[in-house]
Order: sequence, then structure tokens, then C-alpha cells
Amino acid sequence: MNDQTDRDEAVLNSFSDQQDSESKKLDEGYDEKESAKPSVTPARMSWKAQHTIQHRAPFKTALYMVGLLMILFSATMLPPIVVAWWYDGYDVVAPFAETLGVTLGFGLLCWLPVCRLKADLRNRDGFVVVVAFWVLLSLLGAIPFMLAEHPHMRLVDAVFETASGLTTTGATILSGLDALPKAILYYRAQLNLLGGMGVVVLAVALLPMLGVGGMQLYKAETPGPMKDEKLTPRITETAKNLWAIYFGLNMACALSFWAAGMSPFDAVCHSFSTLALGGFSTHDDSIGYFNSLSIELISGIFTLIAAVNFALYFMALRTGSLRVIFRDAEFRFFLAVIGGIVALTCACLYFSNTFSLWEALHHGFFQSLSIVTSNGHTTANYSGWPFFIPLLLLLGSFFGGCVGSTCGGIKAIRFLLLYKQSVREIRLLIRPTAQIAVKLGNRPIPDRVMQAVWGFYYLYIFCYCVLSLALVGTGLDLVTAFGSAAAGLNNMGVGLGDTAANFSSISDTATVLLTIAMIVGRLEVFPVLLLLHPDFWK
Amino acid sequence: MQAITVGQEWLTVQRRAPVKTALYMIGLLMILFSVSLLPPIAVAWWYDGYQVVMPFAEAMGAMLALGLLCWLPVCRFKADLRNRDGFVVVVMFWFLLSLFGSLPFMLVEHPHMRLVDAVFETVSGLTTTGATILSGLDTLPKAILYYRAQLNFLGGMGIVVLAVALLPMLGIGGMQLYKAETPGPMKDEKLTPRITETAKNLWYIYAGLNVICTLSFWAAGMNFFDALCHSFATLALGGFSTHDASIGYFQSPAIELIAGVFSLVAAVNFALFFLAWRSRSLKAVFRDAEFKFCMGVMGGIIAATCLYLYHSGKFPLWDSIYHGFFQAASIITDNGLTAAGYPADWPFVVPLLLLLGSFFGGCVGSTCGGIKAFRFLLLFKQSWREIQLLIRPSAQITVKVGNRPMADRVMQAVWGFYFLYILSYCFFSLALATTGVDLVTAFGSVAGCLNNMGVGLGTTASNFAPLNDTATWLLTLSMLLGRLEVFPLLLLFVPGFWN
Repeated sequence: MNDQTDRDEAVLNSFSDQQDSESKKLDEGYDEKESAKPSVTPARMSWKAQHTIQHRAPFKTALYMVGLLMILFSATMLPPIVVAWWYDGYDVVAPFAETLGVTLGFGLLCWLPVCRLKADLRNRDGFVVVVAFWVLLSLLGAIPFMLAEHPHMRLVDAVFETASGLTTTGATILSGLDALPKAILYYRAQLNLLGGMGVVVLAVALLPMLGVGGMQLYKAETPGPMKDEKLTPRITETAKNLWAIYFGLNMACALSFWAAGMSPFDAVCHSFSTLALGGFSTHDDSIGYFNSLSIELISGIFTLIAAVNFALYFMALRTGSLRVIFRDAEFRFFLAVIGGIVALTCACLYFSNTFSLWEALHHGFFQSLSIVTSNGHTTANYSGWPFFIPLLLLLGSFFGGCVGSTCGGIKAIRFLLLYKQSVREIRLLIRPTAQIAVKLGNRPIPDRVMQAVWGFYYLYIFCYCVLSLALVGTGLDLVTAFGSAAAGLNNMGVGLGDTAANFSSISDTATVLLTIAMIVGRLEVFPVLLLLHPDFWK
Repeated sequence: MQAITVGQEWLTVQRRAPVKTALYMIGLLMILFSVSLLPPIAVAWWYDGYQVVMPFAEAMGAMLALGLLCWLPVCRFKADLRNRDGFVVVVMFWFLLSLFGSLPFMLVEHPHMRLVDAVFETVSGLTTTGATILSGLDTLPKAILYYRAQLNFLGGMGIVVLAVALLPMLGIGGMQLYKAETPGPMKDEKLTPRITETAKNLWYIYAGLNVICTLSFWAAGMNFFDALCHSFATLALGGFSTHDASIGYFQSPAIELIAGVFSLVAAVNFALFFLAWRSRSLKAVFRDAEFKFCMGVMGGIIAATCLYLYHSGKFPLWDSIYHGFFQAASIITDNGLTAAGYPADWPFVVPLLLLLGSFFGGCVGSTCGGIKAFRFLLLFKQSWREIQLLIRPSAQITVKVGNRPMADRVMQAVWGFYFLYILSYCFFSLALATTGVDLVTAFGSVAGCLNNMGVGLGTTASNFAPLNDTATWLLTLSMLLGRLEVFPLLLLFVPGFWN
């Protein structure tokens, strides 16, 4: 059985392996008529794999996956219904029930006609599914916000709020959170949770397989020293394991918050949004509402935990030892940079006389971690801090955290590679004939990966500039535009200037732009661009 | 005599004597620079009187003395520059000239600047940034105004040699592509790789363009003094003007159009001009891939600017066209001459668009600043290749410029440069914000200085006087960093360099 799994794994892996000539031939074969057999049938493919890949039907596969997603999403309406029934009353149950019905209906409509199709995901289908997940669910998930009497949002705002939740940005258009129905507050936190689950799978399993932005580095390779074991390359298998870790951490976080003094409801909601590095809170003042040292520290610690590569946690569990994590090159780089920023923030807070020493330490620790890892919880009147710090943290939010976590931004490993490349450049200028390779933990990085990382970095910065310009074009001032663009693209959630508290004051065009920016940032730019490329649809 | 060629024809390594070589080059440069103070002295004698002649004479004397002190002990030394000496000389050149060139500003009664301001102004001139701390330009001695324009002129000359000859040989930021290679279709002829030879040819072109520009300005209505100074400033893409209102002082469409056209001309690779001259045909220029890309991008931004100005009702149609054309050309190419109340009075989107465009600069081998078109062309093609590889992972696609495939080494150097440049921008913006400058001013000032553009935003929209001293020093450093294309300055801080 193991051999069978391995062979099927190998077939799936070969889809995005550019050195595999077999896959190239299979690729060519697929572009012919649907029912044609592939020109080369490798003997090691199982009967099942052989016959399921014969039928290339992109549209049907997309329909299948999208339908399934919507059905599953409709099921996630049940917990908010329970919360509404417990806390808020029938008025609030109805919108969620209606959303459940609509989503279930659409889902069945898409899935039933093709439910007997058994096609595996090809590269391109993967891209379509990923984009569909975030775009479609942002639209459908906006329905409760629109239907419920409080907050009864308009379409533009509701989609923004939903996208913000699913991309784990955490930027909110709502104010007066303390007065909203508990079901709505729970629903927002749940969006964070679902978004986090999606991101974890996206980042650890899907994007590496699709080879986006240099992440093919992680394709069927273990980060760290254990080269022999594969990280269970099948997406569903990987997903299950990661979700188990994710839920475990959520429970630990919720219990910690509860022990520190939050109500169970607040504890659950903040745990959802902390581990997803989302940032939705149940109070306008966010974590500052609780005015509690221990809650800030717990939040900071779990934010840090959530910004580490979840694959490392999986490895740690499998080997029963934390050494895997501490030996990872990216993790160490991440800690160094974060440590530097935290120290700088605390120092600035103290020396600018904003806070006393102890307060500077714990406020600085929590807030800098929250912003840099693109969480987005705030405390202690963050928008009133000496201006240098929000700017530093805004720039830090481009850094994000480790790949394979729920963070946003460009991510630590890319910066590590960029930095090593630059150091190499400088050394080559001194000794032009030296042979220097960029290595990550003693493993040389292939040129292909470096090029992908550079391409990503360039496009990301370009998107940020275009977005800022567009936002200024809608009438925002420069500070607000830069801050909002960073908050959206990096999935961070805290703006500057007019959007420091919430995003309600910006125009509709700006809201739509930011919604798109959040999705583009979450999907790591390339999938969205791919779908706009005419060659993709051939 | 051992001749070890490390990829460069002229490297002969027999006796490594870095200090002597450095002293030789620096001494020579100082002597030449002191000679360049003679024209301002003539202008002072003609226009301003003895009080202005004296400070210039004193500065000249000091420079000449220092130059002789460095050069005479080693004047019989004949060693060629090695790579590392090249870096040191380039950096020392800019630093020393910035310090000594600021003497006139400090000594002359008007403007009698403090050290920090004088150095800022001098660096701004030599790096062809054009950011000024001075105000009330119309009342300053003509010699000072001429001196500023001449700093632009000298800076432009230095940059042309730096960009076309020196940096490619040192292999900075991907420019080794141009090392002993002709840009464009003429692969057989070499571009006279020796630095002095290349320099002479380029300076002829540069001087020639200056003459044409001066005459054009003069014909359009400027007096001769203004025409000369603005021609210096325009072709160096510097931006120092003799009036506070810059080109806006003249309120003349003809002058703005001429300034815009010559800005664009100065933003083209001077090596292309050389080739066009040699082959007696402009085809060498128009066929260059980088030139086409550069003009395409600039054309797009200029069109967007003109459209937006007209659409927002700021100017009527004809005014939108020529104001938009001039201002966009001036800012994108990092010239920095302004008109019609830019940026303070313009709808905010346009200064921001042009500020982002100033990162683009112009072609390599010109006097522009910024990241430059060639690198953007490569970055863009690389990103495009990434997208295509995602669709067809097994495709074989190479990045080509004008049908010539790019070596991976060049691509990597370009990426490294881009990363460090953005990092520098963020670092300097943050540093400026720490000194108390507000965000808009910080972002605008750093962009103005790092890109050698010269126009700020917010409180530095008209001039850079309101900034505190730390901010001024930081901006001075950023101007040098941008002009030297980041790596030479960074190299000096790497311990391995000094071994």
C-alpha cells in the first residue's frame, strides 16, 4: 500500500517538476482531445492514477472543487447560528440560516452535476481553486453582514469585511463592536479561523507545489535537517495534519486567555483571530480593552507561535523534539529580525517617555509582534504613539513571518535569500572570480528558486506602489494611502492617519481597491496575475 | 612584468600600492577641481566685485595646496587602478570634492552658509541632485549662482564617465553588461574601453549638447547668464536654477518645452550618442532596446500627467500639455527643475506619480539618477518569465534584451541592486522620521535625494531649509549613496574589502 501511495505521490509531484520529462509528455498529451490516452504511460503509475488523469476537464474540475467548497462553507454557518440562538435571538439566527441556504444551494448546483467526476488537481486547477476560494467565499460570506439588522452593511463594506476576515487581514469597517450581536462578532472571528486554515494549507502544501514565488523550495522537502522523510505530499493528508496542529494551538490559546481573565466568548474569538494572525476583535479597543498585562503577553507569545512555519511543528511532533524548529535557518533569521524590531520599539517607547519602563516593555513587545507578523491587534492607543514607531512597524509588516504560517507580507525566507544574495554581490565585487553559492542551512539554493523569489519581490513592491498611487487618486492623503495599502497588501489590518482606527472613512473605490489588495497579498500575487494572463486559459 | 587580466584589458598588477595610487588620483583631481574655480572668479570679477572674488580665490588656493600636497610626492608613480582602488578613488573623489567645494558657500558673505548646509548644497550640485537649502536666489551674487550651475556641470561630466566607463568595469549593479561591449546592434566595434579615451569622447558630446541647449534657451528669451546656467543644470539633469521659482520664473511655454526636450535628451545613454556620431546615423539610438523601453515608460507617465492635469481642471488644455510634459520629463529623469508651483499647488496625485517615476530615472550611461530603465527592463522581463514558467513549468525561456540573452550573473547583480536600493530608501525614510520629520516630507525628501532628483514634498516642497541638521546630514549621505549606485559605499564598510 505504501508503494502505491508513493507512486501516486510521485505522479502528483511530477506535475510541477520541470526536470521531469515524463510530466512534460503527459502535459502535451493532455492538450489533445479529452478522451485520448496519454502518449506515455509510465509503468509505475497505478491503474487508478492512470485512468483518473486521462480525462482533462478543467471546467468540470473547477466546478467540482468550487461546489464542494461552497457546501463546506455553508456548514460553517452552523456555529454562528448556535451562538445567535444562545445569545441574540431569532432576528440574528435568520440571516445566518438564509446564508446557509443560499450557499448550500449554490454549492449543490455546482457540485451535483459533476459529482461523479474523479479528476485530480492539475497545476492550473490548483490556481483556479485557490483564487475561487478567496474571491467566491468573500462574496458569499458577506451575506450575513448585509442581512443582519446590525450591522446591515452595504455590499461594498460587507465584502471588505468578509475578505478582511478570510485573508486574515483584520481591517474592519465596523465601529461600535461592543454593541453588535454576539453572533456577528463570533462570525468575524470564525472567518479568521477559516482563513487561517486555508492559508496554512495554501502556504505549506499548495503554493510550493504550484511553485509560486520561490516556494518550490519546500516542495516535498522537509525544512531543516531531516532530508529523508517527506512531508506527506498529498494535499489532503498534509492539510489534516496541519489543521490538527492548528486546532490544538487554538485550544491552548483560548484556555490561556480564559485563565488570564477573558470571558469564554472573548477568549475563543481572540484565540481564533490571534492564531490566524487575523486581528478581528470583539471590542473597538482591541486587546487594549482588557488593560491586562498577562493578556498582552499571552497574545504576543501566541502571535509569535503562529508566525512560525507550521511544517516545523509537524516535524517537531513527529520527532518528539523541538530541535527541528530551532535549527531551521529561516526560524533563526526570523527571530533575529523580530527581536531587533521588538527591542527597538521598546527602547523608543521608553526613551520618548511614552511609557514607563515596564509598560514600554510589554506594550512594545505585544504591539511590535502584532504588527510585524501582520496580526493587527492593538493596544494602549497605538495610533497615538510617537510617529516613528508606527512607521517602523509598518515597514516591518512587509517582513511578515516564516513561510508556512498564517502571516502576510513578503515573508522571512525571501528576505533571508534576498539578503544572502546581496551579501554575495558585495563579496563578488571584491573578489570577482570567487565561487560563492547562496546556501540555506548548508543546502545550496537553485537559481530557479532565487529567480522566483526576485520576481515575487519586484511584483510585490510594484503592486504596493500602484495601490498607494491609486488610493491617493481616490482622494486619500499620502499617509493614509501608504498605511492603508500596507495594511491591505500585507494582510496586517492596521492603517495610518484616517484609517488608524477603522476603515469606515474611505470612499467606495478605495474600499474595493483594498479588498482586491488583500486578496492579492494573501494569494502571493502570482495566482491572481496568472488568471489574467491569456495563455493560462488555453 | 606580469599582466594579470581579471576580465579587464587594462589591468596590470605588478606593484600593489593602494595608498600611492589613491594619493596620485586624488591629488590630481583636487588640482583639476581647483582650476575649475577660475570661471566663478571671472564671473565674480565681472558681476559682483572684490568681496566675492576673494573667497573663491581663497578656496582655490586651499584646494590647489592640498592637491599638490597629495600629488607631488607620488607624481612619478605610474600604476594603474585596480578594482578596489577604483572604488576607493570614486568614493574619495565625491567626499573630498564635496567638502572642499563647500568652501565658497561658507566663505562668501551671501549666503555664508554653515558647514552642514554648505556641504549639502555642494553635494547636491556634484551629485546633480539639485536640492537647495538656499532661498532668495534672485538676490545672491552671480558668482555663487554660476558656481552652483558649474557644480552641476562638473557632476554631470563625472557621472557620464562613472556610468559609462567606471561602474561597468567595476561591475556594479549589473552594469558589467556594458563592459567593453557596445549597446545596440554594433557588436564588432568596441567602445574604446580605456577610461580616459571614453571620457574624452563623452565630454565632447556633453559639451556639444550644452552649447546647443544654451543657444536654444537664449533664443527662447533667457539672458545669456541664465541660459548658460540652466543649460548646465538641464543637461546634467541637476536642477539648480538661478531663480527661486526655477523655470516657472520665465513663464514661457517655449522655455519649458526646450527644458523638457533636453531633459529627455540627457536621459539617453551617452554611449548611444557616441555610436550615432561614429556611424553618422541615429538608428543606433532608436534601435536600442533600453531606449525604446525608457521612452515608452516616460511617454506613458507624461501622457498620464497631462491627462490628469487637464481632467482635474488645474490647467486648460494647452497649459496642461506643456506644463505636464516639462514637469513629468523633469522629475522622472531626476532633473528637478520646476514650474507653475510644482509640487505644492498641483493636485496631489501628480507629484506622487512623478515621485514614483523618479525611481525609474532614465537610461544607464546618462546623467539621470534612480534605478534606471535597463534594470527595470530586466526586472520586468524576469517577472514576466516567472508568470510564463508558472503556466508551463518545463518551458525554456531566457531573458533577452534586444535579442541578446542576459547572463545570470547580470540578472543577479541587478536584483541585488534593486533590493539594496529599496532597503536604503526605507532606512533613510525611517531615519528621517526619527529626527522628527513628518511622513510626507520624509518620503518625499528621501526620494528626492536618493534618486538625485531634488524636489521634495511637504515642508521640503520648495527648498530643504526647514529640515534639522541630522536630517540634512542623512540626506547628504543618501545623495551620495544614490549617485554612487549604493555598492561602492557599502563595500567600504565590508571588512573583507580592506584585506
